[in-house]
Amino acid sequence: MALLSSRFDFRIGLLASLSMLAIQLPAIGEESGEEVFRPKPGKFPPLEKAHSYRGELVFVDHATRRGSLRVEGKNAFRRNEPQPFALLPYAIVRYHGAPADLRDIPLGTMLHVRAFLPPDPKISSVPVLPINNKEKKSGYGDPGTAPAENHVLLLEDEMSHCQREGLVWKLKELEIENYQGLIVARREPTEATTAPAQEETFSFDASTRIWRGRERLGISDLVDEGTWPENGKKPLDGQVVQLGITWRPTPGGVFTRFHISDIWLDDTAINRAAQLQAENHKAFIRSRWVPAWIDEVEYGKFGSATVTATLFGGIDDSLYADFTKDAKMLMNPVENTLKHTEGGSAGPTQMSAKGSILEVTKTEEPPLGSSGIQICFATDLITEGIRPPRIVRVRPANWPDVHLPREEYMRDGAASINERFPSPDFFPKY
Amino acid sequence: MRRLHRVFDISFDYPCWTLVLAGLLVVYSGSFADEPAKPEESEPEAFRPIGGEFPPLEKAHSYRGELIFVDHANRRGSIRVEGNGKFFRNDPHPFAILPYGIVNYHGAPADLRDVPLGTVMHVHAFLPPDPEISAVPVLPVDNKSKDANHNRGAGIFPAENHVLLLEDEPSHCRRKGLVWRLQEMEIKNNEGMIIAARLPKQGEGGEVEEQELTFDAATRIWRGREFLSIEDLVTEGTWPAEGKKSLEGQPVLLGITWKPTEDGIFTRFHISDIWLDEESLDRAAHNQTETHKAFIRSRWMAAWIDDVEYGKFGRATVTATLFGGMDPSLYADFKKDSSALMNAVENNLKHTHGAYGPAHMASKGKILEVIQTPGEPPLGSSGIQIRFDTDLIIEGIRPPRVVRVRPSDWPKVQVPREEYLRNGGPSVEERFPSPDIFPKY
Repeated sequence: MALLSSRFDFRIGLLASLSMLAIQLPAIGEESGEEVFRPKPGKFPPLEKAHSYRGELVFVDHATRRGSLRVEGKNAFRRNEPQPFALLPYAIVRYHGAPADLRDIPLGTMLHVRAFLPPDPKISSVPVLPINNKEKKSGYGDPGTAPAENHVLLLEDEMSHCQREGLVWKLKELEIENYQGLIVARREPTEATTAPAQEETFSFDASTRIWRGRERLGISDLVDEGTWPENGKKPLDGQVVQLGITWRPTPGGVFTRFHISDIWLDDTAINRAAQLQAENHKAFIRSRWVPAWIDEVEYGKFGSATVTATLFGGIDDSLYADFTKDAKMLMNPVENTLKHTEGGSAGPTQMSAKGSILEVTKTEEPPLGSSGIQICFATDLITEGIRPPRIVRVRPANWPDVHLPREEYMRDGAASINERFPSPDFFPKY
Repeated sequence: MRRLHRVFDISFDYPCWTLVLAGLLVVYSGSFADEPAKPEESEPEAFRPIGGEFPPLEKAHSYRGELIFVDHANRRGSIRVEGNGKFFRNDPHPFAILPYGIVNYHGAPADLRDVPLGTVMHVHAFLPPDPEISAVPVLPVDNKSKDANHNRGAGIFPAENHVLLLEDEPSHCRRKGLVWRLQEMEIKNNEGMIIAARLPKQGEGGEVEEQELTFDAATRIWRGREFLSIEDLVTEGTWPAEGKKSLEGQPVLLGITWKPTEDGIFTRFHISDIWLDEESLDRAAHNQTETHKAFIRSRWMAAWIDDVEYGKFGRATVTATLFGGMDPSLYADFKKDSSALMNAVENNLKHTHGAYGPAHMASKGKILEVIQTPGEPPLGSSGIQIRFDTDLIIEGIRPPRVVRVRPSDWPKVQVPREEYLRNGGPSVEERFPSPDIFPKY
């Protein structure tokens, strides 16, 4: 009965057809004959083809996995208009060296971005810009501050970026007065190298958090214990740390200078921050399910089917380990925003396809975005939306059966076009 | 010469003046109580804040909910309001912070951007002061008593969506002299349930509320200067690895969020943080205070204009009341005979002249007097009035408009693009943000 209502809902059918049409239409830009790369459904785009930049997280719409970043250029940072971005369905977000959701990252955090042109400009949830926009000057901004590559594969804070790339910050010198001041630091590989190190001057102030072992300290604590002077300069002799970086308005006509929000002084402190974030994300994924896409469906009789799906990457290993051969599992279609499309108001479990995992296959060194894990799943009642290259969410049956908050699912049979394909009009024009 | 140029800019910039006049008309029509807004016609006794008067806290409607969405540049967002029904089904409910609205986080002043999504907040709010220019949807005045259907209950869509006070759980408890007393816990695999009661810190009576709250391996424990996890408490033997333990009314402060719940539970909140002692929360409050002090020094102190005495050739003496809720050290920087700057802002506290930094077009002058009004000031007010003399008053500095002021020894910085209006060219949308941004569910 549930299947009948799902299959014959005219509105959903119409929307699905529209979405399929949109996926197959050529994207703007290719027509001009220029060589542009856009991710294709069913293929993880290679990281080396991504455009990389960094910027300050200024706005978040976590329910539709999009937001805005003030992208760093060479001129006055504060004048750069917030640039909308959307996370690709298989995007990886990392915060404090652990998997994260967009909602976990505080506004103001400086993030490293690897992004692509919109896979399908017609259904982009953020403004579609001319493909050469990263070379253009926009408004008061400077080149590179409004890239058309606004569909993100990898979004990571400074600590996550450094850990992935094997980098550390080495503190060179500090100047302090009244618990605030400047620090000169270099970002260097952990392994000795002859490559030139990048030196940067940062501000810090009385709100900068210092993490040492299991302690959370303030600048005043370091001054009180004599580690840092109360006034004046001090060489820090290349002390190895990890930094959390934000931006604050700068006096003195400085174009761009970033601010240190956090300093992790040792590995214990770094690992504790990562562990906390990992636990937070594990609870999040257990309640929202692991995203995946459909590689193949072999249809059987009377609604039964065998489905092959690839689990998306960037999630804690313990979650993947819960997908085991012969275990019971549920699979529910979702939109590109990863919002559950079926059975939301009664919980995603109600309308999902249920069955058993026939096989779990692992491939070595998967591309970023993929876990490298394929599951083969047999269900006796396949639901609309479970077909290549659509996105689904899956959960082992022993994960908690919970209902999601209203903004994270579509209303059964009555979702608006804007709910399925969020409009870029949402973003302010400056 | 530069000053002449500034006067010329103001006087003859046509698009700027068109907007200013349009703004004047809107503000004028909305500022007078004898021109009631439409929703009020059906309920003449509805209370709305009036320009130039801080509304009494006791007339506010209070509720609590989970912070879902933040548009900090426009000082608005959405909250999932707690009702009697299924919490997860409640649509995020848009709210706007009043210009003098106070936000507290970790027991200290905060901006909306400082509060993490998911935090459960206590709200004291009013009907929109002027529905015509509300930045969030205007709802029927009796909306809080309507049943929202679908097992959601009443009270989840209050029309009172213009916020005077927004505070997280520890801030709420500190303001009201409350603590959480932990009664009992049950744990397995570093997660479980705690039964706790919110009680007055000292003495009997007051608010008594026993609740069952969840915790998990991501719950943060703060003890003195230590940052611990549940696992740490288990390892050191303070909490058992598995099973129940009586906590004998241990007084703590809690940070509260919400996570999806199993077993058909309608509403159950989640503990994000436990502060085990006063020192740990003092340290959290200190950190948040320092964050906010730096924020206000760069964005300037918000105030409104009580009175302007116009002199000759653009000169004026302006009386303004500084808004409340900030760290006292910031107010202490406003001293008699010190120089200051005053810039017009919108109701969302965006600087109206900002492309070259708010200092560029601000009225400059000297503080003639700092007046501490007697008695306890109403919430929203600092109780501090300044009398400020300028030789060149700019448009927008007039009662009951909102301004931002800074002592001239605060740092001269330029604010980011989303926090100011473009000189002479802001869109109507930039000045009066439309409620259309909020999704309809």
